[in-house]
Amino acid sequence: MTPILVPRGRLRPVSLGGARLTRPTAWVVVGLLALVTLVSVFARQLAPYDPIQPVGPINLPPLSHGHLLGTDGIGRDLLSRTLIGIQASWLSALVVVAIGLLIGGTIGLIAGATGGWVDSILLMRLTDLFLALPGALVAIAIVAALGSGLVNTLIGVSLVWWPYYARIVRGETKALAARPHVEAARLSGVGRSRIVTRHLLPGVVPTAVVSASLDIGNVVLLLAALSFLGLGQRAPAPELGADTARALSQLLSQWWVPGIPGITVLLLSLLANVGGDAIRNLIRVRR
Amino acid sequence: MTEPVAALTDFSLSLVRNGIRSQVLEHIDLQIWPGEILGLVGESGSGKSVLALSLLGLLPDTSHPQADGQVTVSGVDMVRASAAELRRVRAEVLGAIFQDPMTSLNPTMRIGRQIGEVTHAEAESVRLLETVGVRDAQLRLRVYPHELSGGLRQRVMAAIAVGALGERREGESNRPGLIVADEPTTALDVTVQAQLLEVLRELRDEFGCSVLLITHDLGVADKIADRLAVLHHGELVEIGQASDVVRNPQHDYTRSLLASRLSLTMPRDERFGGDTHGSEPAVSISDLRRTFLVRRGARWGRGRSREINAVDGVDLDIGQGEALAIVGESGSGKSTLLRIVAGLDKPTSGSVTLAGTGGPQMVFQDAGSSLTPWMTVGETLGERLRPLKVSRAEVRERVTAALAAVDLPPEVAKAHPGELSGGQRQRVVLARATMMPPAVLLCDEPTSALDASLAKSVLALIRDLRARIGMTVLFVTHDLAVARLMGDRIAVMQAGRVVELGPAEQVIAEPREPYTRTLLAAVPEIVGGAVS
Repeated sequence: MTPILVPRGRLRPVSLGGARLTRPTAWVVVGLLALVTLVSVFARQLAPYDPIQPVGPINLPPLSHGHLLGTDGIGRDLLSRTLIGIQASWLSALVVVAIGLLIGGTIGLIAGATGGWVDSILLMRLTDLFLALPGALVAIAIVAALGSGLVNTLIGVSLVWWPYYARIVRGETKALAARPHVEAARLSGVGRSRIVTRHLLPGVVPTAVVSASLDIGNVVLLLAALSFLGLGQRAPAPELGADTARALSQLLSQWWVPGIPGITVLLLSLLANVGGDAIRNLIRVRR
Repeated sequence: MTEPVAALTDFSLSLVRNGIRSQVLEHIDLQIWPGEILGLVGESGSGKSVLALSLLGLLPDTSHPQADGQVTVSGVDMVRASAAELRRVRAEVLGAIFQDPMTSLNPTMRIGRQIGEVTHAEAESVRLLETVGVRDAQLRLRVYPHELSGGLRQRVMAAIAVGALGERREGESNRPGLIVADEPTTALDVTVQAQLLEVLRELRDEFGCSVLLITHDLGVADKIADRLAVLHHGELVEIGQASDVVRNPQHDYTRSLLASRLSLTMPRDERFGGDTHGSEPAVSISDLRRTFLVRRGARWGRGRSREINAVDGVDLDIGQGEALAIVGESGSGKSTLLRIVAGLDKPTSGSVTLAGTGGPQMVFQDAGSSLTPWMTVGETLGERLRPLKVSRAEVRERVTAALAAVDLPPEVAKAHPGELSGGQRQRVVLARATMMPPAVLLCDEPTSALDASLAKSVLALIRDLRARIGMTVLFVTHDLAVARLMGDRIAVMQAGRVVELGPAEQVIAEPREPYTRTLLAAVPEIVGGAVS
């Protein structure tokens, strides 16, 4: 967990040795993404115990009777805590990425389609300003100022997350806008807003969706890092990063207590990255 | 008995494209003899480029080539040989010139180093560049590919190809080399094309190397090839002495290729000539100028900038219903002029006045990129009817009618541009431009990317639409034969100015300006052809 405590830049998408996923494998990965999303939506129903109350003996190892992943230092069920933790991390990551796409995408699309001073001064220098700041640190500052808690964390991370999408969407829009089909549409008498929505936007969507799906893993890691630092939800609430941090002293005696939430974060971000690759392979960019 | 430099023996090849395996070449038997220039002609998709790649041993693994028979270059089987053996043959025997010299030269290396890879000595590089007709060769060694014009880049490629052969020559062997040139002049202006063909011929004469010249233009092949092979759907349909094949074709396909050639003497429609003057002009261009600022070596704003006069004081009046063809070489400013008339670019000074209401419509050079890829043809055409606010049923009806007007079936409305052929796409673009009859139609080289037979039918369609709608046409082209066919008058542009303007036949038959004469002389015409 150490290298991602305060991620300076974004992690690169996992490269599978240059080999592209085959289509069936890609579908399996996308299926897993859907499964994780389903699990996080129904985590409350799936969890066998209350994640906050002690329900058994302390520090039971995984595969114990009645407690599949064991229990923690005060006897709470680790499976239940992990499921609820997945819910918090995964859904939050989706929300942050969606907000980022919406804000960044809109700004990038307007900047790329308009060009001129709107692009170079108003929107892109603003974007550069945000990009120049270390995102994670700014997020930490915002959350610290607003006070810890899930909603505040989401606000903090969303505020620093959109510039990335603004950049990607703007570049892609600019490339598309230079194609003759946009000029042809203009000559056909198509209005400005319709050119943006019908002749530019659909061409940007594939790239934006792929970048976003690759990015979910980064958000999962950042959220885990924030909660590891104590900037997530308040104490009893299950959260993967915070659970890892609190139980770190048990790493050598009962490895599973900090280990299971930590490994879950790892798997989630890995799955998100591979999932981004899979989606990229499945989307055929029509050009 | 001499050995051929390269030979294809009963060579068949299939490749996988988009997941479907298709036969690309079938039972080709072909020899290239030392010191000969063999022309290989065929339309796009005939397999001529694949044949070149087979000879070079460059068939892409990703398309899973399956070959029967043999391709040998100086005795080495180019399909099955090991990588090391291929490398040796390429180094010793083969040189290649491709269609796009920008992508086949390394953009990050100076010209000198790229030639140096085969010559190893600067003096030798300079000599090579001079051989292929590059002036100031010493200076050119220091520049990067993007700083050279298309013609110069092609000459550099030729120099590298020859240099590789020259290197081998200093060794002991005296096997003649082979230069494979795949459409080397297609991207070039006619005058540059004529020079480059001359360079190829001189290389053959001086070094005795063979040349496989792949082209879609029978005129080009006729000009320098000794023998000519005609490829059609992967089959060799005819081979013989070039002058015989061109003047006395035996195969129907060769005949149809010859017949579809756009020539300076082909019959021309005079329907519109004459009665266009006197009335108020449809397009009036007066003292139009457009300058571009080009920064050279800009570093912290201190670089020198230079103004380029793309359009340099053009005055033109185009009458109602007239067709004016604007010809010129690349960089002559003809496209910039057209874009200003279309309203896609603003002039630096001067004015363009369009009579009538409604903007002009434009047909672009690359039909594919001028259609929005994710919109169906029906959606694209329907957009032009939006201002009318008509019902869906009527939109559908008018789209079908517009498609019918350009000889396309109604099903095309449901297709995406990517599913159409090049000719169909250009027809869709024409349908979009003319479904609401424009007063002025602007055409920017609409057929330069099409095979001759397709080009001919698209040109006929434009003439037909013009007759039906009575619109004024501005037709930009680099091809004098097309200009003669499409224009009532021809304007010849050079360096941003109109240097000659007159009735089409007159400009072609009795050009006044030396520049027009140069252009005409460079057109590879087939003289004395027995074409029906």
